[in-house]
Amino acid sequence: MKRPVNVMVTGADAPVGERLVRDLLDDSRVDQVLAVPWKEAGHLPKDDRLTVIPVDLSSSRRVHELLFGKARDLDIDIIAHTQLHRTARDESAQVHRYNVEAVRSLLSLSERHPSVRRLVMRSDAAVYQIQRDLPVLIAEHHPLNMTGSAPQWIRDRVEADVTACTRMGMTPLQIVVLRTAEVLAPGTGSQLYDYLESAICLRPAGFDPMLNLLTIQDCAAAIQKAVHNDAQGVFNIPGVDTLPLTAAIRAWGRIGIPFASSLLSPLYHLRSRITGGDFRYGMNRRRFHYSGVLDGTRAREVLSYVPCHPIEWPTD
Amino acid sequence: MPFPPAIARALAQAGLPEEERLRLAGLHFQDAGHGYDAFGMHPDFVALGSLIAGPLYDHYFRVQSTGHEHIPQHGPAILVANHSGNIPIDGMMIWLDVLRHTNPPRVARAVADHFVPSLPFIGTLFARNGMVGGSRGNARALLESGELLMIFPEGTPGIVKPWSERYKLRPFRVGFVEMAIRHSAPVVPCAVVGAEEQMPQLTTSHRLGKPFGIPEVPIPAVPIPLPVRYHLHWGPPIPLDRETTPDQADDSAIVHQAAARIQDAVQGLVDKGLKQRRGIFK
Repeated sequence: MKRPVNVMVTGADAPVGERLVRDLLDDSRVDQVLAVPWKEAGHLPKDDRLTVIPVDLSSSRRVHELLFGKARDLDIDIIAHTQLHRTARDESAQVHRYNVEAVRSLLSLSERHPSVRRLVMRSDAAVYQIQRDLPVLIAEHHPLNMTGSAPQWIRDRVEADVTACTRMGMTPLQIVVLRTAEVLAPGTGSQLYDYLESAICLRPAGFDPMLNLLTIQDCAAAIQKAVHNDAQGVFNIPGVDTLPLTAAIRAWGRIGIPFASSLLSPLYHLRSRITGGDFRYGMNRRRFHYSGVLDGTRAREVLSYVPCHPIEWPTD
Repeated sequence: MPFPPAIARALAQAGLPEEERLRLAGLHFQDAGHGYDAFGMHPDFVALGSLIAGPLYDHYFRVQSTGHEHIPQHGPAILVANHSGNIPIDGMMIWLDVLRHTNPPRVARAVADHFVPSLPFIGTLFARNGMVGGSRGNARALLESGELLMIFPEGTPGIVKPWSERYKLRPFRVGFVEMAIRHSAPVVPCAVVGAEEQMPQLTTSHRLGKPFGIPEVPIPAVPIPLPVRYHLHWGPPIPLDRETTPDQADDSAIVHQAAARIQDAVQGLVDKGLKQRRGIFK
């Protein structure tokens, strides 16, 4: 029988990280949980097995102090890195450090850490390129979005993902990258959630692409399964809900209005300026035209991950 | 789509005979969770498509289908046909022919050129009826899940052939053969006779198609297709699945030989069909 593992969870103040911490505390295969929120503990539960240390991971010095301080003291085996900057309109060197340099620091420090043997990193389906001549079902070898003009929100995700992938197999550290479908929930940085916040949702006329959406529960469950598995590599993590954009708008109780695609970018830019909303049409243009659905075959076969929590649509 | 599946269902219920509706209820279909498959096909839109294409099939083009017993009733297969007529009505007629001559009904998943998904409205309408964009990944996923693929290996050069070259097949692309061998799928040849005469072509334009990425847009001599008679001739399956092993999909010589053989089979069916027909409208 395997000994219980000790897990460190970054991004523990975000909905996915918080849920993961709770799930790990309910898991008899886990002994100690080190939760690392960015600033505050948030709504994390009180538990003897839980240690909470707020750390700004964009500072490599702080990461070093964390890993070779409390993480070493707690004999952490596995790091579940769920931290991602959530606001698309924020673009700065600080955001880049938060998204990318934190991964670089975690990787290089974990490789020489006395107890850490595995790093599970949450990436994002936004790293994939979506275009008309690419497959609808997105496998792990699907082309990545390396467009130079892509916004920082996407470029950072791609860079962090590739940074982790390039270290796979180079050291004894086991590295797992989970490319999760979009989590449709508040506080997760979901572009679609912000889009659906409007009573009227404008969409490109004549197009109705297929989307795949994930819940916080399934996202945390996938990370938990990766924590307990010995496999390495990249895995797509799809959700239960695969549906067209118009069906998502209807199911969310919104009114979808088809509109000339060329006008949507300035209109949503204006909306962002007025309401402070985070949805950027330019960033979502391709996936609002062409279908892209994550193929979760590899996660099902290797990690035994099967999504089982459908989204609770307001109109259900 | 501009309207939800419930409206498509209501229209199909109002227009299709009850017997056909019940038959279509048993459609071979893999629901991805909300009534659609992962590629966007929806059974209610398939029923609506059948309702719309039915009068064209029965009364306008008066389709005569022979050899449809060769269409596989289950398992993966690739249906291969000649392409013609300036607009893809041949695909619509084959789609309905397959739907009507399979039980439980199967949808021929048309593998369209890359530009089709980027056509507003048309791309979505076709996707609801089973079309997928022409990428290797889409074809692979469908064959692995046991679907029927409909492929026109001549591509756009086939559909925009000038009048003087009607029924002379353009060279077949070979990607579909590689897929058939790799996924052990039989290839079923089909000849479409009649479509070449539906819209005689004046010329083609590169410029008109540029905004949508269409390589060539045909300029026909008539505003709507002529009521020619369609003849669909299905041939016996070419059992690449039995004659080859999946690893031979990487053998270029074998792939090209098989493609030539399939092209000969389709050309043979076309020539036979032309001899048999008594006139363009008969």
